Amino acid sequence: MGYLIHLLIYFDIYAIVALSLNLLVGYAGLLTFAHAGYFAVGAYTYALLSVVGGFGVRPASLVAVLIAAFLSLAISLPSWRLKGDFFILVSLSVQTFFFSLYYNWTKAGAPLGSWSNLTNGPFGITNIPKPAILGFRITDPGHFLVFATCIALLCAFVCWRLQASPWGRLLISMREDELACRGLGKNTRLLKVQTLALSSAFVAMAGTIYAAYAGYVDPTSSSLEEGILMLSMVLVGGVGNLRGPIVGALLLTAFPEMLRFLHFPDAQASNIRLAFYGLLLVLMMHLRPQGLSGNYRMK
Amino acid sequence: MQIIINGLIAGLAVAQLALAFQVVYLPTGVFFVGLASLYVVAPYIYSAVQRLGMAWQLCATISIAVVVSIALLFEILNHAPLTRKGASGGAHLISSLGIYILLVQVITMTWGNNTMALRPEVHAVYHFAGSVVADSQVIMTVAAGALLLGFLAMLHTTALGLHLRALADNPTQFALYGYNVSTFRLIAFGLSGLLAATASLLTAYDIGYTPNGGLPTVLLAVVAVIIGGRTSFFGPIIGGLLLGFVRAEVVWQFSARWQEAFTYAILALFLLSRPRGIFSRTTRIEEID
Repeated sequence: MGYLIHLLIYFDIYAIVALSLNLLVGYAGLLTFAHAGYFAVGAYTYALLSVVGGFGVRPASLVAVLIAAFLSLAISLPSWRLKGDFFILVSLSVQTFFFSLYYNWTKAGAPLGSWSNLTNGPFGITNIPKPAILGFRITDPGHFLVFATCIALLCAFVCWRLQASPWGRLLISMREDELACRGLGKNTRLLKVQTLALSSAFVAMAGTIYAAYAGYVDPTSSSLEEGILMLSMVLVGGVGNLRGPIVGALLLTAFPEMLRFLHFPDAQASNIRLAFYGLLLVLMMHLRPQGLSGNYRMK
Repeated sequence: MQIIINGLIAGLAVAQLALAFQVVYLPTGVFFVGLASLYVVAPYIYSAVQRLGMAWQLCATISIAVVVSIALLFEILNHAPLTRKGASGGAHLISSLGIYILLVQVITMTWGNNTMALRPEVHAVYHFAGSVVADSQVIMTVAAGALLLGFLAMLHTTALGLHLRALADNPTQFALYGYNVSTFRLIAFGLSGLLAATASLLTAYDIGYTPNGGLPTVLLAVVAVIIGGRTSFFGPIIGGLLLGFVRAEVVWQFSARWQEAFTYAILALFLLSRPRGIFSRTTRIEEID
């Protein structure tokens, strides 16, 4: 039962990630690999504020979300001038840049959280406290599942309302024909900034839940493999609706666990998992580019 | 002087790979991320053949031939079918990336994850104008320089070069003139494989190789393409050399670990001030991608 709860918490986290990425890929038409970087922004900010600053879960999460939204400018400003393949590559560069910062922003002997040792480098930040809400500290995994599910449902509700709003329809019009959208007097640059800020804020929220649950964060949470996993979720599940990302998150959260029952050697399990993601990406692009349950075929 | 030499050598490797990327991107429009897997595969094939006791010339030839074959298979099995289906550029990129991930995992499971060297002995060094240069760096400079100059000469003096430039300029018109676009696409992929394999072997001979080194290097090459100019064959070479010098300077002034941060800071600077790159041409608004 404990194992199932653990899996469901991870599913909640990845459902938020996939829903936030769906806003970008499915509605704004912006394919990005930098999401893992923003996920880690949330996780690291929460970790630093709670471990070093002694902040509670609500102020720490709020600051994490705001910082991620601000840092999304690193990707939204290039999106003004670059589209398609080159934008994807810039997002990969931003992801590499984030990973490089998390990995290198450390100095032996300097206290954690100081300017010279902000991330503790490859060792990461440990002993992140469990969140406390209204004086009740969530240490039991079952209670944490309720907490994570509530946040995931809230994110899904916000995404649902956004996609049904005039703002969501404007996003779709920009996705379909940006030039025509601009011709109608719409400010597509501002729209991109808003979408990327919102999406980064959502994924940072997922990062804070991850840090609070795992009690540990290190640079691997922003690795390229994580970025590929996140993008695979929306490409496999499909984009352009709420159903696709959830299906993708469910499938790709469950898949690594299925490998356990096939008794692959532990040393090769992660390679096989990644190889499967690669194969899945190729097959989806050839056989079903709109994903298993998506409405929008990627341009 | 040492920084200039180091920058030139590092820049030549980036320039080679940037040209390998551009030789596919301009004529076909395919964002060839699979180039990273070609870059990774080459030294592993070389060392596998070397273990059979063959001479280095034969090892290099077989390695390059295998990499060129894989490049052709990329086109035949992946990009050509996607093009026939009218797939988007994003679909090409994602499927190409998928194959890269798959190949890297196969290499990791076969040969392990460690950094390896193509030769066990220590490099001989030469002293030149107060600087120290290893023999591998001399080989890199001569071979990469010759290859880049040879490619540019081919592009501007031969019929094949003219056809590739024509295909890059207007693929539809090229096809309407009766040329077989599929053949020239294959040639472009083959040339890209050749450039990637030589860049990889020369770098592996100099500093070693690892299964995960492909994508970061190709990303660097794409940054060189953006800086140099996305519509030119010559621009990426200059972009690569410029990046080489800047990264060598960063190592000297700060630390090697800040190379990536500075590289992407330069990219941001170019995107904001000159998004079409150094060697760019003016485009109509509907052409901007």
